[in-house]
Amino acid sequence: MRRALSAIVGSQQFGLVAVILLLGTILTLFGGTHEDRVTGQTVNNFLNPQTLMQVATFASFFAIMAVGMTMVIVTTGIDLSVGSTYALSGVLTAMVLSKLYPIVTQPAPGAVWVAMGLCLGIGLAAGLLNGVLITSLGVHPFIITLGTMWIFRGVAFVLSNALSILVPTSLTSFAKAPLGLGEGVTPVPVIAMLLVAATGWLFLTKTVTGRRIFAVGGNLTASQYSGVPIRRILIIVYAISGLTAGIAAFLAMSYFGSAQSADAQGYELYVIASAVVGGASLAGGKGSAISAMLGALLIELIRQAIRTLKINQEYEWIIIGCAIIIAVVLDRVSARVGSARLTQGRA
Amino acid sequence: MTNWAVEAREICKRFPGVQALDHASVAVAPGSCHALMGENGAGKSTLGKILSGIYEPDSGQILLEGHPVRFANPMQATQAGISIVHQELLFCENMTVGENLCLEDLPNRRGWIDWTEMRRRAKRWLDAIGADVDPDATVGSLPISLQQMVQIAGAIGRGAKVLIFDEPTSSLTLRETETLFEQIRRLAAQGVACIYVSHRMDEIFEICDSVTVLRDGKTVGTRPTRGLTRDELVRMMIGRSIDTASVRAIRTQPGEPLLRVEGLTSPHRFREVSFQVRRGEVVGFAGLVGAGRSEVAQAIFGLDPSATGRVWIGEREAVRRSPASMMRLGVGLVPEDRKRQGLVLGMNARENISLPSLAALSRLGFIERQREYDLARRFFEAMDVRAPHVDAPSAGLSGGNQQKLVMAKWLAADCRVLLLDEPTRGVDVGTKSEIHHMIRRLAAEGRAVMVISSELPELLTVSDRILAMRNGRIVGEVDADSATEEALMRLMTGVEAATA
Repeated sequence: MRRALSAIVGSQQFGLVAVILLLGTILTLFGGTHEDRVTGQTVNNFLNPQTLMQVATFASFFAIMAVGMTMVIVTTGIDLSVGSTYALSGVLTAMVLSKLYPIVTQPAPGAVWVAMGLCLGIGLAAGLLNGVLITSLGVHPFIITLGTMWIFRGVAFVLSNALSILVPTSLTSFAKAPLGLGEGVTPVPVIAMLLVAATGWLFLTKTVTGRRIFAVGGNLTASQYSGVPIRRILIIVYAISGLTAGIAAFLAMSYFGSAQSADAQGYELYVIASAVVGGASLAGGKGSAISAMLGALLIELIRQAIRTLKINQEYEWIIIGCAIIIAVVLDRVSARVGSARLTQGRA
Repeated sequence: MTNWAVEAREICKRFPGVQALDHASVAVAPGSCHALMGENGAGKSTLGKILSGIYEPDSGQILLEGHPVRFANPMQATQAGISIVHQELLFCENMTVGENLCLEDLPNRRGWIDWTEMRRRAKRWLDAIGADVDPDATVGSLPISLQQMVQIAGAIGRGAKVLIFDEPTSSLTLRETETLFEQIRRLAAQGVACIYVSHRMDEIFEICDSVTVLRDGKTVGTRPTRGLTRDELVRMMIGRSIDTASVRAIRTQPGEPLLRVEGLTSPHRFREVSFQVRRGEVVGFAGLVGAGRSEVAQAIFGLDPSATGRVWIGEREAVRRSPASMMRLGVGLVPEDRKRQGLVLGMNARENISLPSLAALSRLGFIERQREYDLARRFFEAMDVRAPHVDAPSAGLSGGNQQKLVMAKWLAADCRVLLLDEPTRGVDVGTKSEIHHMIRRLAAEGRAVMVISSELPELLTVSDRILAMRNGRIVGEVDADSATEEALMRLMTGVEAATA
């Protein structure tokens, strides 16, 4: 019993889950209540299915990308282009759909699958391009993805003339399917997030490629001396990062019903922040897909807190900035304390 | 009563998991060169670091010229007159020699750096120890030997009375080592107390007057070097004596060639290198630093894209060599620098051992956990890695155990040709002997082993044959049973025997 307890407390995710629960409790207690217009019942401003689902849904778009970003960061890399990859895949897919299904409200058989294939494919291709450029030119990923960040968005801008393109409504019905959970509760993006995080976790911790990603990030030279195909591993992580941007773009485009070149502007920073709050180390060799998702949830929860507690919206950026620094510092401190305890226990 | 320049009394220091120093004491007279010896993990480096203010002791006392002192950081120690010469420390490599020497108080006029004064001060300090170094050179561009001279100049310039040398010769050539020793003798003659931390016995006997031996953090004893024999010193260090005869007794009849190299050439590194290593054979490579030995091993392992020439592993010729393809042919390279090239320190022992073998341990891309554990445990035990368990963090292991881990990794990958580059660098005497036994055993089990070492006694102990390299070429071969250090040294340096 005590061992099981200490395993839970000592686990990587415990701190994040504890903070999320604590913040959730605070919001429940201090968020106040309102009266439901239809039923007349008193509803907690935070602890109600619609609000919770909304927080999770908004988090899901960048949580998915944070899973890919974590893999990139584990190799000591960075991908600044995810926001633009998202915009590019969304816009291109929406344009193709508008040719295939000119009238958005008409039933569009197969549109969901076409859109999914296109969006994921374009994201994957953009990520592959990043990976190939980084490994063949030998330029730091920061520079390459800084470049493609502008290039991808620019391409989306030019092709779409900066217009917002509507997508078939069948996509929206798919992304907002209630799945019998009740009015206003649309779990599809959240389910996708959980699936991506679980797959990412399995991939990173259980597969050969996942282990090699950690090895490359932990010590590139030693990995090379151990016959790890460095180039292939790096291309794979950027491709995955692009792919997750494509997944997020597909979900968001379907959920909101449109795509435009200005979508997800500045998202790369939320994505990087989620990965880092989730414990990924920019020095490489450390990171977790599940934690990255929790990091994204925490950041979205903080944004929700500003709304629920009726804090002036103008303070949002300041609060998020402080929260990121505090989260990362606390993580480092607890890691140091934890490892000291571990080694002492063994002596 | 003697007036010690510096004295450490009953120093204790605990790190998480180890008592690094346990009431250790040492005293050094002005003008003498005093060795601190011991196996890796004995605490000699820790004691040096405590004296120079890098660590603070948990308890105990440091007396500088009879007065108790306490240092919170190396700068305080330097100001008091104790400095350390340490190759991994204390430089901003991107800055010039002058800037580094004056870093703690840059000469300036109202905040603007006074370059002339800085150069003048740096030059004065460098001249004081007779070091020919340009104050405007970037520190990172200098060879290690000159970087050391800059450190010494800085220490003496700041008025050091006690100078600690921590393993100063580990990356110096023989000639550079000689220059350093002259410098140390000169400093001692000027009254500086030198503390020489090393586990290289030759050096201790060459330049030190006295030696304090530490074992498991405790002082074993202090002796004058004159009249002390190597055997006695080894016994003080490890508590027993070691024999080389039992290493050489492990042997087998060599079989067919497993590694064959013909005309291997890499521009500016080595030329026309041809040799073979047979099954059951250990072939040593002797040479000075820069002779091209490590480069040959790296080229065989596919790490040198510009290398040309032919390599056969068994019957198969290795064309288009890469580490992955050589691994598949059964070749493993235990590199020179285990921290940089050998291990992923962020990973635990198991993950390091299995890294080259992951593909073989997986099904559909997923690592099979039980098989990974079995494999890791088997070679963890075969190499006798001293760690609490197979999931122990590799960063926390001692040098010798890390080295065993790197070897375990290649054995786990089922290598029949092993290229070992400095397999016992920075490893303590006891573990060294264990590794020597293992190398012989690995060959006797049917592998071909190539060993590169800068320590001639080591090559003479583990090898069947020794090839000498000089300036990128193989210049001779000797039989290890009959060869002498002197004969090898002559081949390595190209100096003919004085009498024919």
